[in-house]
Amino acid sequence: MTSNFFAPEIETASRERIRALQLEKLKNQVAWAYDRVPWYKARFQERGLTPADIRSLADIARLPFTDKQVLRDTYPYGLCAVPLDDVLRLHSSSGTTGKPIVIGFNQHDLDIWSDCVARMVAMVGVTRADRVQMAFGYGMFTGGFGLHYGCEKLGCMIVPAGSGNTERHLMMIEDYKTTVLISTPSYALHMCEVGEAHGVDWRASSLRVGLFGGEPCTPGLKREIECRMHIVCTDNYGLTELSGPGVGGECLHSREHNHIAEDQFLWEIIDPHTGEPLPEGSEGELVLSTLDRQAFPMLRYRTHDLTTITTEPCACGRTHARMAKVRARTDDMLIVRGTNIFPTQVEDALSVIQGVTPHYRIVLDNETGLDRMTVMVELKPEAISDSFEEMDRFRHHVVDRLRQTLLVTPVVKLIEPKGIERSFGKSKRVEDRRAKL
Amino acid sequence: MAVTQISVFAENLPGHLRRILDVLELAGINVHGFLAADTGDCGIVRFVLDQPELGLTVLQNAGHAATRTEVLCVRLPDKPGELARVLGVIADAGINVVYSYSLISTLIAIHVKDIAATEAVLRHQPIELVSQNDMVW
Ligand SMILES: [Zn+2]
Repeated sequence: MTSNFFAPEIETASRERIRALQLEKLKNQVAWAYDRVPWYKARFQERGLTPADIRSLADIARLPFTDKQVLRDTYPYGLCAVPLDDVLRLHSSSGTTGKPIVIGFNQHDLDIWSDCVARMVAMVGVTRADRVQMAFGYGMFTGGFGLHYGCEKLGCMIVPAGSGNTERHLMMIEDYKTTVLISTPSYALHMCEVGEAHGVDWRASSLRVGLFGGEPCTPGLKREIECRMHIVCTDNYGLTELSGPGVGGECLHSREHNHIAEDQFLWEIIDPHTGEPLPEGSEGELVLSTLDRQAFPMLRYRTHDLTTITTEPCACGRTHARMAKVRARTDDMLIVRGTNIFPTQVEDALSVIQGVTPHYRIVLDNETGLDRMTVMVELKPEAISDSFEEMDRFRHHVVDRLRQTLLVTPVVKLIEPKGIERSFGKSKRVEDRRAKL
Repeated sequence: MAVTQISVFAENLPGHLRRILDVLELAGINVHGFLAADTGDCGIVRFVLDQPELGLTVLQNAGHAATRTEVLCVRLPDKPGELARVLGVIADAGINVVYSYSLISTLIAIHVKDIAATEAVLRHQPIELVSQNDMVW
């Protein structure tokens, strides 16, 4: 397997060169934010800091954190470091409550962003010879435009179909012989199922790579799509606050990690409770700082994503650090009867049970006074039996497997095939009905 | 001699049975009998149909989780004691009836683990077993 690079010089630079570049850029970025954004200046002054206090990369720990709340408090332009006339584009992420998070880009930022996306796409073997079918919606979401411009920069042909209209997508794959699909993983699975129902032979299809995003992509879901659609399923790491896709991506040699674009983002791993930096290799919350962002510089942004990072060399030849795929977030942790549970644990448990699909819903309630966790599990058609006894035995088997993983005994409800709603955006898989005591 | 029964896995929610029946009606399939009991959250509704294979296909195509099982079908003379007589024959042979339900007319469907053995037991008695072919009328 040979590696495919978009920017080999920076992607394979020595660790020393990367560290030196990061320090130089960090100093500039900190000064840029301090000089141009009153919010940053005020936070620095509260701590008696000036940009001159940043002398080493470790000094970043002296700076205050930022998070979603800061972006909400300063909505919409409070963190903007350039005149609005220079801002060329706004993107936002859907807020579940209240105002969205919005960030802007000037030309410089858009150029860097598409560079990072081009690298990330090249990392999974996509080249200018590929034809890319876009099934993300364009619009405020960073995924559509981000991947669009990145793939264009790499030189790919893009079919900007947008989201929805599955039959038209299937026709485009067939007629335009597209080779790369950009979509949410659940939409890819939906497309796969609709294709199968229409007699599409995925083995013979031109599609070869899936670039997934927009919602968590579990290993089980990836495996299922890989087996059924016969494509290589990849995902990447990014968040709107830091530009969207392109912060990191997996390479074909290290599928369980994402290479972070370290010349553009400085990472830290912290203890989510104390905020203290943790040594390399520890699991903790990922904190990222932009290193060369002009419109919306973000310093020490708390991602709430739990991961571990390694700077060990990768077989692909890239020297940039690798973060383990994010399987849990500090803020989607559920506490059920005092036990910490991550929805991803449910996904992991289900992915190894025969006869169930990767789709599920979790409902929490405390009607009886105690926390109760109900997991709705979708059956595969072959798991259906005429015998109620057998179905009940199967249900108990699912309960056992979940209990082993979660250390809490859930109530399991078996749902008929396709009975759980597919979400094409962020999955709404958890419903907490518990009355707050 | 056994009759094909179509079982549909159905969540116990309003309208689910109706949607199943709509699918059958649209395909012109006649329901001769059915069993829908309060089996908790995941219900299994069982049907004896005049065209079971077609029923299975249209239900699956409509997205329902349907499966096929065999049941024995017996026509009883419409007079007192007949049901007791038939079930008595099965009981005397030491066979457990897993479930049973009545169809239209005086037909009953009986599910047991070993269909063939039970059929043999019934054949030795003056009991009218009904075949799939007899279900079309
Ligand atoms: Zn690599």
